[in-house]
Amino acid sequence: MTYRKTAGAAAALLTVASLGLAGTPAAAKAPVAVAQCAASSTVKETLPNGTTWQLCWRVQDRAGLVLDDVFVSSKRYPTPVQVLDSIRLGQLNVPYDSGETEYNDLTEYGFGGSNLETLGGEDCKGGSAREGSDGGPEARRRKVLCVSAEPSGLAYRLKDYNYETGADKLYSKQGHDLVLRTISKVGWYEYVSEYRLADDGQISVRLGATGDLSPGDYVKADRGWPIGKGARDYASMHYHSAIWRVDTNIDGKGGEKVEQYDTKTDGRGSMAAKLKTSMTKIDKEGTFTKANRRWWRVVSEASKNKDSHKRSLELVTGADDRYEANPATTPDVTFTEARGCEKFATDNADPQCKTMKTILDYVKDKQTLKNPVMWVRVGFHHVPRDEDQSPMPLHWQGFDLLPRDFTDMNPLTPADRNGVNGQTDN
Amino acid sequence: MRQYRKWGWGLGIASVTAVIAFGVASWQVNAAPTPGASPGAEQPRVSDPDPGPEPTAGTGNDALTSAEVEKAREIAVTPELKEKAKDASGAAGPEFLSADIVDTDGGRRAEVYLYDYATNNLIKQVVDLGGSKLTDSYSAAGLHLPASAHEVDTALDLLLADPLASEFKDAYAKATGSQFAGKDGLKTTAHVFKAQAADPAVAQCGEHRCLRLIVEAKGRYLDLGHLIIDLSGRTVARLS
Ligand SMILES: [Cu+2]
Repeated sequence: MTYRKTAGAAAALLTVASLGLAGTPAAAKAPVAVAQCAASSTVKETLPNGTTWQLCWRVQDRAGLVLDDVFVSSKRYPTPVQVLDSIRLGQLNVPYDSGETEYNDLTEYGFGGSNLETLGGEDCKGGSAREGSDGGPEARRRKVLCVSAEPSGLAYRLKDYNYETGADKLYSKQGHDLVLRTISKVGWYEYVSEYRLADDGQISVRLGATGDLSPGDYVKADRGWPIGKGARDYASMHYHSAIWRVDTNIDGKGGEKVEQYDTKTDGRGSMAAKLKTSMTKIDKEGTFTKANRRWWRVVSEASKNKDSHKRSLELVTGADDRYEANPATTPDVTFTEARGCEKFATDNADPQCKTMKTILDYVKDKQTLKNPVMWVRVGFHHVPRDEDQSPMPLHWQGFDLLPRDFTDMNPLTPADRNGVNGQTDN
Repeated sequence: MRQYRKWGWGLGIASVTAVIAFGVASWQVNAAPTPGASPGAEQPRVSDPDPGPEPTAGTGNDALTSAEVEKAREIAVTPELKEKAKDASGAAGPEFLSADIVDTDGGRRAEVYLYDYATNNLIKQVVDLGGSKLTDSYSAAGLHLPASAHEVDTALDLLLADPLASEFKDAYAKATGSQFAGKDGLKTTAHVFKAQAADPAVAQCGEHRCLRLIVEAKGRYLDLGHLIIDLSGRTVARLS
């Protein structure tokens, strides 16, 4: 993902607008729904730049941390707008390259209950350790969620030269994330479920792995990496295929549509290649594969920003190793129609729909998407290294949900930049 | 992940012309320091609310409270299940696995998951917590949820009573450097195990409920991945 890609995406937007797909101005605002949970399971924090995130959290026995009813507002756009109905992990599939071991860590073990760690040490340094049920059979209340605000680096920077005064004007601002995390211990591995809610509206979703390497999975040289003395103990390479379940509810109106964008070369201009961006509607359940410059968004039909653009969330993926040896961990993203008993991406076990075992079963009947659920898979092929002992440094995998046209401008736009929206009329 | 943050500076280039054209800007004053943060402090504060006592019942889609779990469990285990179902140790009544809030817009409902070792069925009971009644009941074979603590204990006992306990003791000695002297001090959890390939020793796992134990002793994990405990058949097998 580079500047080039960002520019391409902007071009795509113009194309859509010129096709008249942007629609009519937003209808009168419906009353804002408030998050439905007790005060103790509410997180509501305002970051230094004035952005407020509000949500409900809980821990589920198998899935671990679940965020429900996620709303965002900012100094510039003070009315809270719902972003997500819920987000959580939908599976963590861990096959070893030896072929001897494969775990579905959520459904065969569980991220909640007694496997959810009580925060201690420096787990939540500088943050607030929140108490809630661990989701286990006794629903024990413990300090399990860490809520913190963390610097995210430079949020924006712009130096402007004023001809009248002859002076530079500098806009430079540090950004912050509201960070929510829980830790689950799965045997020797420890996993961090993390959500970073940025002050510019971006949601970064990731899973971190630490703890220790498997004590038992040692193999021959071509399937492992020597991590003890000399060339004797080859720790097995293995996969962590994480799949998240994302249920959007933009502005509380639901019924989002799914769009896929592709940008292809289209001849030459006077200097460089011409690129052309096209959109494909995804209106039925299915599995999808990444390609160069391809991206997806979940777009509201009913909710628009002040520029009359439909609000949407764009899926942004980064580093990823695809585990193509298992059909259910092969798709990069899968869209399904929301259904209560389709809970996990693999190894689903609900007697109410006993034949629905993986996302591939969910999409088989190609239902029309009315309330789409997005399953995002991000894989990491872990080649152990000497430094993994011990404890293992955290390794991360995840994706971003980028607000695309949630607001008519950057939610952090300083007042002096109010008029900078679209092409300037001369 | 996080690419947009990393590459965000690129966006600025396109805006420069617009900025010059407007020519209206002033020094942007840095955000007021976060309340309570000392100058130069890196991390702004978040609130740290007092959670208060556990409520009897949750709100909306809150996790079930302990009182709600207890209530849901009581309603889910019907007199018939109490009499005919069996738990992991063979006692009357089903094995209780978990209870979870059902995500709905209506009142609070719980899904209670039970395992019946008499029939090898996973049972899902849907309980209306407000109305205190069982509203739906489903069961199916070959489906599994993670193991309960009682199942893990039962599996460890089965292993220790089996001839393959010798392999457990070898693994214990290898990991800890000392002789196994009893299960006190062991920290045991388990993955549910389902046979993937045709390994005849464990082919029944899936239809049966089988576990692969993870045992920690003296801060070390035992290498037990090859031992599978079949709770339904009350046997222990070694993966070939
Ligand atoms: Cu790993």
